[in-house]
Amino acid sequence: MATEGVEKLSEDAPAAGKVSTRFDLEKETELRFEVEAGEAAEQVEMELLTGMAEVFGSELNRNKKYTFGPGSKIAVFTWQGCSVNLYGKPEVAYVSKDTPMLLYLNTHAALEQMRKQAERDNERGPRVMVVGPTDVGKSTVCRLLLSYAVRVGRRPTLVELDVGQSGVSVPGTVSALCIERPADVEEGFSVQAPLVYHFGSTTPGTNIKLYNKLTSCLAEVFSQRCEVNRKASVGGCIINTCGWVKGSGYQALVHCASAFQVDVVLVLDHERLYNELKRDLPHFVRVVLLPKSGGVVERSKECRREARDEKIREYFYGFRGLSFYPFSFEVRFSEVRIYKIGAPSIPDSCLPLGMSQDDTQLKLVPVTPGRDLTYHVLSVSSAEDGDEGARKGIVESPVCGFIVVTFVDTQAQVMKVLSPAPRPLPRHTLLIMDIRFMDMK
Amino acid sequence: MADQKKTDPDVKFCEILSPSELFAARSRSHKIPVRGQKDFFPSDSDEQRQRLEQSLNEHWSLISEERVERLGNLVKATWIPSEEIVELQSPAGKFWQTMGFSARGKQYLLPEEALYLMECGNLQVFYKDLPLPIQDGYERFLTSNTIGLQQYQVFGHLKRLGYVVHRFDPSSEPSPYSRQLNLPQSRDRAGRQLKRKRSTSPSPSSSYIKAKESTTDRMEEESHEGEDRKHPEPHLTASPEASEVQTATTSSADEDGGRTWWMTDDLGESSQSLTSGSSCWDFSSIHFPDLGSSECHSSCLACPDPSLLPGALGVGVCDLAPWRQRINLRKVKMSPKEHKRDEDNWNINKDKEVRQCRNWAEYQQLMARRQGRRKGRPAHLWNREVTPLHDPTQPVPTGELLDKISVIKSSNLLEGASRLEGSDDWRICFNVYQPDTVADFKKSNPGKPYSRMCVCSFEGPVPDLRVIKLLAFQSGDIPVVFAVVDHGDISFYTFKDFQLPTDVYP
Repeated sequence: MATEGVEKLSEDAPAAGKVSTRFDLEKETELRFEVEAGEAAEQVEMELLTGMAEVFGSELNRNKKYTFGPGSKIAVFTWQGCSVNLYGKPEVAYVSKDTPMLLYLNTHAALEQMRKQAERDNERGPRVMVVGPTDVGKSTVCRLLLSYAVRVGRRPTLVELDVGQSGVSVPGTVSALCIERPADVEEGFSVQAPLVYHFGSTTPGTNIKLYNKLTSCLAEVFSQRCEVNRKASVGGCIINTCGWVKGSGYQALVHCASAFQVDVVLVLDHERLYNELKRDLPHFVRVVLLPKSGGVVERSKECRREARDEKIREYFYGFRGLSFYPFSFEVRFSEVRIYKIGAPSIPDSCLPLGMSQDDTQLKLVPVTPGRDLTYHVLSVSSAEDGDEGARKGIVESPVCGFIVVTFVDTQAQVMKVLSPAPRPLPRHTLLIMDIRFMDMK
Repeated sequence: MADQKKTDPDVKFCEILSPSELFAARSRSHKIPVRGQKDFFPSDSDEQRQRLEQSLNEHWSLISEERVERLGNLVKATWIPSEEIVELQSPAGKFWQTMGFSARGKQYLLPEEALYLMECGNLQVFYKDLPLPIQDGYERFLTSNTIGLQQYQVFGHLKRLGYVVHRFDPSSEPSPYSRQLNLPQSRDRAGRQLKRKRSTSPSPSSSYIKAKESTTDRMEEESHEGEDRKHPEPHLTASPEASEVQTATTSSADEDGGRTWWMTDDLGESSQSLTSGSSCWDFSSIHFPDLGSSECHSSCLACPDPSLLPGALGVGVCDLAPWRQRINLRKVKMSPKEHKRDEDNWNINKDKEVRQCRNWAEYQQLMARRQGRRKGRPAHLWNREVTPLHDPTQPVPTGELLDKISVIKSSNLLEGASRLEGSDDWRICFNVYQPDTVADFKKSNPGKPYSRMCVCSFEGPVPDLRVIKLLAFQSGDIPVVFAVVDHGDISFYTFKDFQLPTDVYP
C-alpha cells in the first residue's frame, strides 16, 4: 500500500546533476527512504516544497535542502499533507499511510497533560522509560517525544542507558542530556554539557552490577537537578534503554524504573515484556504498550558496529568529520593511572566470609600500560587526582572526556593519544573501555 | 658552708693569707671524691664500716675546706630581702652575658644566680654590710617565693655542665592562639622594665649607652616588629585562657558553619522530597494509547486537546483496533527454566501492602523494610543499641576495618590539651639553652630554648598524662624534660610522642 497517491515527476530539473524525485504526501502519511550504506554511496538531499512536514518530531524548513549521508534511514511525516523533493538516488523510497504517529502523538498529549498537572500542583513531571527489544525504534520514539515536549516549551531530560548505541556520547557510556531545542534534522540533539558516566562495554551484560550502579548514579543526579531546577523537574525525563529484555537485562529495567521512580513505561512492540512489567512494577506505574513503526529496519551486527565507530569519530572530528580538529600528543605512563572497572571473578571459596562475588564487579583494577592498550578508548574520569582516598569515587564520577590510544611505546614508556583538547590532560585518572577505535578515515 | 673565718668581723670580712698558705691552697688536690658503689645491706663488717667512714671523712673534709679567692675577682653585691634579689655594687664579670638583668639603671641577679656565683667564687654578697656565707645564702635565697632547693640543685647542675639556664616565664610563651595564627612575636612591652638588658658594665653614667640602646631597640622594633624569637604581644593574648576560649569558639564556629551548611541542604532536600516522589497520577483521566490493556474497550481514542500538541496541531480520533491485531504476533521462545520462573513469579500488585503504596517513595520504603526483615543479618545482633562494629556484607579495605575495630584510639600529646585547666603542682621552671650558643647568646633575645625543665622529686608522684599534656601544650614545640632529684642525684626524663606502626597498606 506504499505508493498510493504519489505522482512521480521525475527528471524535473536535475539539481547539480542529481536525479530529482518529487513526492506528494497526503495528510498523516510518511515518506520513508534509506540511503545506501558504504563508502562510495551517494548522499541524498531532501527539500520540502509545500506544506508542513517533520522528521522524528523536528519540523522541516521549506525550501531548505537537507543532506543525509550513507546509511541514513529517514521518515518524513506530515500531519496536513506536503510535497517533498528528493535529490539523488535513495536505496528505497516509498510513502506509507500506515504509521503509529497518531499513537505517539496521543502519548505525547498524555505526557503533556501530566506536565501541566505537575506545573499546577508543584509536583515533578512524568518520568518515562521506553523499553523494548532491539530494532523497534526506541531511540526514535524518545527523540520524537523529546522534540514534541521541547516544541511546547518544556525542558525534558534525555537519559541514555543504551550503552551499545548511545545517542548522546560515545558508546560504552550512560549519559543524561538536558534538551533545550528540538533535534536537528540531520545531526540529532545538540550535545551540550551532557552528564556522562563510564561503563566501558557495549552490552550491559558484561558488568550488570556496574550498569545498575550507574543507573542509580544518574537517577540521583537527575533528582538533585530536579530539586534545584523547577523547569527540569516539570519537564521530567525520557529514558532510553537497551534492547536486552530477558534475564538480567529485564532485572536492570526493573531496577532502572525503581531508581528513577518512573511514572510511565512505554513498551514498544513486546506484549510479553508488557505483561511482565505490569506484574513486576507497582500498580501506580502506568505501563503502556505501543506498536512499532513499520518503517523500522533491522540493523545487522556490522551496521551497529559501524554506527558505533561513526559515533566515536563524530566525537573527535565533529558531525561528518568536518567541524572538529583533534589533537595528538604523547602521554607518559607515569603521568596517568589507568583502571579497569570490575575485577576478574574469583571462586566463592576464595572470598572472605560474607563477601559475595558481586562485590568484585565494582572494584577498580589498575591496568599496566602495554602494547595491547593500542586503539582502546579511554575515559578521562573527572575524579580529583588524589591518593588512595580518591579512588573510591572514581566509579561514581562522571567522565570529562575521552581519548584514544593510537600508539604505545613500551621502551620510552609513553603512549600517543588522540584527544579533543590539547595537552595536558585535565585529569590523570583514566578508565579503559573494551571498545576500540581505529582512526582510519 | 663552713667558711667561718670569712664571717669573722675582726679581720674585716676576710683573711689575708701568707704566701706559704697560698701555695698550699693552690697546690692542693681539686679532685672531688668518687662516690663509688652503693651498699644495700649493712653487713656489720669492719670492712664496710671502714669504707663508710672513709667516704664520710672525705666528704667532710671537702666541705670544710677553705675557699681561697682573689679579692679582685670577687664582684660585690647586696642582698635585698624585700625584693628577694641581689643588686650588684661593682662591675659584673663575664657571667653577665648569660645571667642577671638590669632595671632602673641597676644590675641585679636572681637569687639562684647569685648563689651559684657565690659557690663558684665569683661573687661576694653583703647583707646589712656583712658578707653572707654560702650557708646563709642557701637559707636566705632559697625560699618558697623564689626557688626551692631541688630547683636550685637542678639549676646548679645544668650551669656546671655549661648550659644557659633562665627562669621560665609562662606569660612570655606565645599563646596557642597566636601560635595557630602564626603571629610574628613582638616584644613584650609591658614587661619592659623587668627585661634583661645587656650592658658591659653597671656604670651609673651609662646614660649615653642606654640612650643608644633604647634607640636601637626602637629601631629594631620599627624595622621588624618580630622575628620568631621574640616575646609575644601581651595585649594580643591577654591571658592564655582567653585565647584558648577564642580558639575553641572559632573552631566550634567552623564546625557549626559546616554543619549548618549541610543542615540547610538537608532541610532543602527533605522539604523538596516531600513534594517530589509523592506524586500520584490519576491515570483514568490521562489517556495513553495502550494497546495492551483489555479494560479499555473503546477502540477509539478521543482527539487530544490541541493545546497539548506542538504547533497546535489538530488531529482526529485514533482507531486502536487495527493496531491491536497487529501487535507483536510472533511468539517468544522460552526455555523451560524461564517458564518455571515465570510461574514462580507472581504479580506483586496482588500484595495488599503493595497496593496500599501510592508512590515510589512508599513502595521503596516497604521494600527496604521487607529486605531488612528477610535478609541475612541475625536480628538478635543488630536490633539492639549495641550492634556489631562491622557488617560483614559491607566490604571495606583492611586498613579501614582495622581503624574501625581499634577500640583504643591513638592520641598525641597535644590532643585536647588546650581544654585542660592549669595545675599548680607542676610547672616548668627553666628554659635551657645549649652551651655551644653561649658565645653569641643575648639575654635580650635568647631565641628558642633547647629544652624546658620541670623539676620534681624522686619521692613525689610520677606526672600523670594530664600534667604531661598540659606542660607539653604550654611549651609548644620545645620538649619538656623532667628533672628528677634524688637527694642531689639528678636524672632527666622526657616523654615523646610516637605512633604505633601500622603495617597495612590498603
